[in-house]
Amino acid sequence: MRTAAEISNGEKAVIMGIDSTHPSSRRIIELGFTPGQEIELVTRSLFNDPLAFSIRGALIAIRKKEAASIQVI
Amino acid sequence: MKNSLQTDKKLNTITLIGPPNSGKTTLFNFLSGQNARTVNYPGSTVEYATTPLKTKYGIDAELVDSPGIISLMPGSPDEEVTINALFDHPRYGQPELVIVTADAGQLTRHLIITSQLIEAGFDIVLVLTMPDLLAKKGYRILSNELAIKMGCEVVIVDGRNGDGIDYLVETVKNKFERLQPDSGKKILNREQVSRKDQDGLLADYKRVESIVAGTIVSLEKIPDKRNLDKANKQLTVLDHSGGLNKIDASTINIDKYMLHPVFGILAFFIIMTGIFTSVFWLAIPFMDAIDGFFSALAGLAVETLGATWYGDFVADGMISGTGSVLVFLPQIAILFFILGLLEDSGYLARGAMLVDKPLSRIGLNGRSFVPMLSGFACAIPAMMAARTISNRRERLLTIFILPLMSCSARLPVYALLLAFLVPADKVWLGGIALAGIYIFGIFGSVIISAIANKFNNKLFGENDDSSFILELPSYRIPKLSVVLNNTWTSSYSYIKKAGPIILVFSIALWFLSYFPNPNPQIDTAGKSAEEVEEAIQIERLETSYLSDLGTLIQPAMTPIGMDWRVGVSLISAFAAREVFVSSLALIFKVTGEEDEIQDQLLGEMRRAEVGNTGQKLFTPATILGLIVFFVFALQCLTTVAVSRKETGGWRIPILQLILFTFIAYGATFLTVNGLRAIGIS
Repeated sequence: MRTAAEISNGEKAVIMGIDSTHPSSRRIIELGFTPGQEIELVTRSLFNDPLAFSIRGALIAIRKKEAASIQVI
Repeated sequence: MKNSLQTDKKLNTITLIGPPNSGKTTLFNFLSGQNARTVNYPGSTVEYATTPLKTKYGIDAELVDSPGIISLMPGSPDEEVTINALFDHPRYGQPELVIVTADAGQLTRHLIITSQLIEAGFDIVLVLTMPDLLAKKGYRILSNELAIKMGCEVVIVDGRNGDGIDYLVETVKNKFERLQPDSGKKILNREQVSRKDQDGLLADYKRVESIVAGTIVSLEKIPDKRNLDKANKQLTVLDHSGGLNKIDASTINIDKYMLHPVFGILAFFIIMTGIFTSVFWLAIPFMDAIDGFFSALAGLAVETLGATWYGDFVADGMISGTGSVLVFLPQIAILFFILGLLEDSGYLARGAMLVDKPLSRIGLNGRSFVPMLSGFACAIPAMMAARTISNRRERLLTIFILPLMSCSARLPVYALLLAFLVPADKVWLGGIALAGIYIFGIFGSVIISAIANKFNNKLFGENDDSSFILELPSYRIPKLSVVLNNTWTSSYSYIKKAGPIILVFSIALWFLSYFPNPNPQIDTAGKSAEEVEEAIQIERLETSYLSDLGTLIQPAMTPIGMDWRVGVSLISAFAAREVFVSSLALIFKVTGEEDEIQDQLLGEMRRAEVGNTGQKLFTPATILGLIVFFVFALQCLTTVAVSRKETGGWRIPILQLILFTFIAYGATFLTVNGLRAIGIS
């Protein structure tokens, strides 16, 4: 399974699960990254990190490391 | 008869809670009365605004604002303080009512905090903001349905024109009328909510999602009033593939440029240059006006009170001291204003995202960006802004390097020193040199931060996981009233914090330079009145406590080519860096009027010699050395005090004080002697 860190610019994916052992997992869920939601990688910052995802009508920037805790298909 | 226990808490308290960018500040401004004031939570520097409700609403209650939070589980120190105060405010206790704001366009995300507040047992009114943006997407909310399903009152308020405020006020009134006066504290389930794990959160989302799905309807499906009942049954539940979760297209388009690898960087540098240029250039007329006003006032004081010790005290000690606090206000206010514009427009979050990667290389975080930017005005509000950094190590490192940002108090020092170096007919050269000093300072802080980061386990003790999670709000035209309001509160709190300390130090400095010999005996034979006055001043200073102090530090000043007078000014600058200039003026006996002070001081500086050796005290080498000293030295006791408060101990502030002063001294030594070695005296 891929993670949100691996999808390409403009690509959409559906969240399958969040790695709950990741230290930021609670905050990631609080911001709306929950299983079943569609996300889109809208843009990347310089050096390809952090990534800006569209989720539930909001644009949220997270680091690649955090995106790797979001499993998608 | 009134029971004193009952009158103990005279006002009802309404706390305003909401996620960032949910229209909370706009609502606060609609409801707040005349005398809104900003206060700190006791024992912390997190600020909140509090105000009685506008009298025209007829509700006798105190409205308490709070920093934005997205859940009742704190993720950073400022969130923790906010949540603690929500459950048991140090001054107001438990609120009678909580008003929660939620952006109608981001309902599921923003309703999480609402559902947690209800679960905890608070009495709440939910305010849905920005209905216009939802309408633009083609949807509207059935607020009655939402109220029933959430189990709280729901009011829609349009922040552009205040539509719905009246209904909100009615709702609050009704709530208060039903409130039992003696019901006492409600039992809140704080533990249950704040201990929620990831699964608990997901369950919250599931519940909120199903509620929202049944309450948001497409605009075309709005039922006709006449057959409402029938129509209600026909409403189709919203399917999420629609436009509801779309981000505003213009935001995406702007971000294509603002976060672009080439244009993004370009825009970033243009914006940053724009900020600093305007901070300097726009502030000049205001600073001149303030300076002129206080100089005139000091002159007036001497005229009225005569050339007595108390006349000098009022003029040089009190009035000039007050002036030296207020003269930086224009720069600080302008910086806060521009930062406010950028924040409200949505750019600041992008700036933080752009610099996250480079900053993480030196142990900082994208969230260090705003504190660092504020640090160019003043390290004190900057250290407070660092509270939004959730990772403790990164927060401490950010606070650690903040004194290296070239704050506005250094400007008058640089201005004086550069005026000495740069010919009067080539002012532009001074501008370039000033930019050079800033760039030098930034490089210096990057290097020091990188080195400190290498030793971070020893220095900061913590090595937990770093993260960067930041919402990028939609771009919008900034609301001038909100920005001006914030500028005012930030500037005011700067004066309140830094003002007294600077004032006390200026007065103490005056005292040390005036006593114990306020009226020295002078041989007046064959001297004009002016010469007598000058001789008195010289004698008074040379027999003062300040001069004794100078003798003590002379050994430290000789290696860097300076004498006790500069040393004393450097020590005085620990009150606040700008005091260096007024201290030099005091020591070199420049008591001229209005804007001539700097010219006179420069003249005195050009004449000054080290002891009686005939060697000039101020040369290009020593002036450059002084500039280097000011780039690195932590000469601001308020900063030390705030650093202690923010880091929760003396370790970091003392380290900052010793390390930065040591680096400053070493760098100055190298500069002065290095320049002399290559033939520049």
